[in-house]
Amino acid sequence: MASTEREILRTEIGWAIVVAGVVGVIMVAIVYAGLAMHINPPSNIEHIDPKTLHLTGEFTEPNLGTKVEANGQVTVRMVATQFAFVPQCLVVPEGKPVTLRFSTPDVLHGILVTGTNVNTMIVPGYVSQVHTVFRKTGDLLMPCHEYCGLGHSQMWATVRVVPEAEFRPGADGKVSCDAR
Amino acid sequence: MEHADADPKVLDQPWRIWATAAIASVAAAGLLLGMIVLPVVQGRNAGISAFDAICRALGIQAGSPAMPQPPSAAQAIPVTQVAWSAELIRDLEQADRRNGEAIASQTCFACHGERGFAPDNRNPNLAGQSALAIYKQLHDYRSDSRFNDQMTPIAKALDDRQLIDVTAYYAYLTTGAIDPTTAQVGDEEIVRLVERGDQSRNLPACSSCHGRRAGGPTETPSLVGQNEGYLIAQLQLYRSGERKNDIYHRMRSVARQLTDREIARLARYYSTTLRQ
Repeated sequence: MASTEREILRTEIGWAIVVAGVVGVIMVAIVYAGLAMHINPPSNIEHIDPKTLHLTGEFTEPNLGTKVEANGQVTVRMVATQFAFVPQCLVVPEGKPVTLRFSTPDVLHGILVTGTNVNTMIVPGYVSQVHTVFRKTGDLLMPCHEYCGLGHSQMWATVRVVPEAEFRPGADGKVSCDAR
Repeated sequence: MEHADADPKVLDQPWRIWATAAIASVAAAGLLLGMIVLPVVQGRNAGISAFDAICRALGIQAGSPAMPQPPSAAQAIPVTQVAWSAELIRDLEQADRRNGEAIASQTCFACHGERGFAPDNRNPNLAGQSALAIYKQLHDYRSDSRFNDQMTPIAKALDDRQLIDVTAYYAYLTTGAIDPTTAQVGDEEIVRLVERGDQSRNLPACSSCHGRRAGGPTETPSLVGQNEGYLIAQLQLYRSGERKNDIYHRMRSVARQLTDREIARLARYYSTTLRQ
C-alpha cells in the first residue's frame, strides 16, 4: 500500500501516463484512418422524404442500380429496406471514381463493402453519399451492419467490381449484374 | 509524512495546475486535428478550399452536397401509390366500421365471408388482418398497381372514404384460430425457412415480417391462418413478376428464389400450423 506522499505521487503519475497513452493511441488511429485510409464522417447532408421515396425523384425502382451519367460520372443508387438491398447485386468499374448514393424508406440501416473504405449509415430522411475508387476486381460482400429488425442477419448484397474494359453500359447508361 | 502539517489547498495547487494544463492541451490538440488538419487534408480530395473545409467542420457552412448530382430523368413506374402519412393512419383508426360493414355486405361477403373467412381457399381471409395491409391492397387494385378480374372493378367503385371504412370493418373482426384437431406440425426444413431464413440464398426469415406484430415494413400482412390456395397463387405471381405491387421487390426477390415444393409447403405451413 502506498502511504507516503511520494509513493502516492508515483502511482498517480504512472496511471496518468497510461491514460494519456490510451488517448494518444486513439487520436493517432483516427488521424491515420482519416488521412491514410480516407475514412471520415459523412459531410454531405441531403434530405429526402422517406414516405414518398418509392413514388417520386431519384430512388424509384427503375432508377436504382449503376448508371453512367451523361458527363461520364458513374453513380450507383441503392435502397436499403427491411430486409433487402435493392438491387441485390451491383456492378462497378475498377479504378474509376464511383459515387454511391443510398436511402431508406423504413428504418436505420448501414453498409460496408468488405476490403474497401466504403462504410456509412443509411438513415431515413437522408441520402447517404460515398465517393470511392474500387481497386480490386471480384465479388465483394456488402452486409447491413446496423441492426434493422429480425431479418437483419439475412440482409446483404454483392458489389461486383469488373475491369474497366468489361464495364459496358447499355443504351440508357445502366449496368446490371443480370445483363452480364 | 513529509507535509503532514501543510494546508491541503497549498498541497493541491500543483495538481490543479497540471491537470488543467493536461486537459487543455488534449482539447487543443483535438481541435487542431478535428477542425483544421483533417478537414483541410480531406477537403483536397473533395475539391474544396481549406477555408471552406474548416467552415464545414465547424458547422458554419452547410456541406451539401460536395459534388452536385445530375437530376434523375427516370419516370416513377407506380408499384403502388400509397404513402403512409400520419393523416392516413389516423383516418384508418377513426374509420366508420358500421358503414364499412354495410358496404362489405353488398360487395365482399360472397367471396370473403361474412366474418372475414373466405369459403373458397383461393380467396384470402381478411378477419383481423392488419388495416394497413388491407388498405394498401385495395388502394393498389384501384390504382392498377395490382390486378385481379374480380377485385379491380370492385375497388375502383369505392371512393376514399368507403375504402377506409371497409378496411376498418375487416381489420376489426376477430382473427380466426387454427383448428387444433386438424393442425399440423410444420416439417423441420420449412420451420427453419420461416423462423431463420436462408442466409446463403439471401432469404430473410418469413416470420421477421409476417408474424403478428413482427416488425418489418408497415403494410406487411400477417399470414397466420391464411388460405393455402391463396398463398400459393400469390407466391407464384410474385415469382413470375406478374404481381409487382410490393415496394422495392421485397416479395419478388424472395419468391424468385423459392422452389415449387417450398411454395407449396410454406402455404401449408401458414394455413395449418399452430405454432407461430
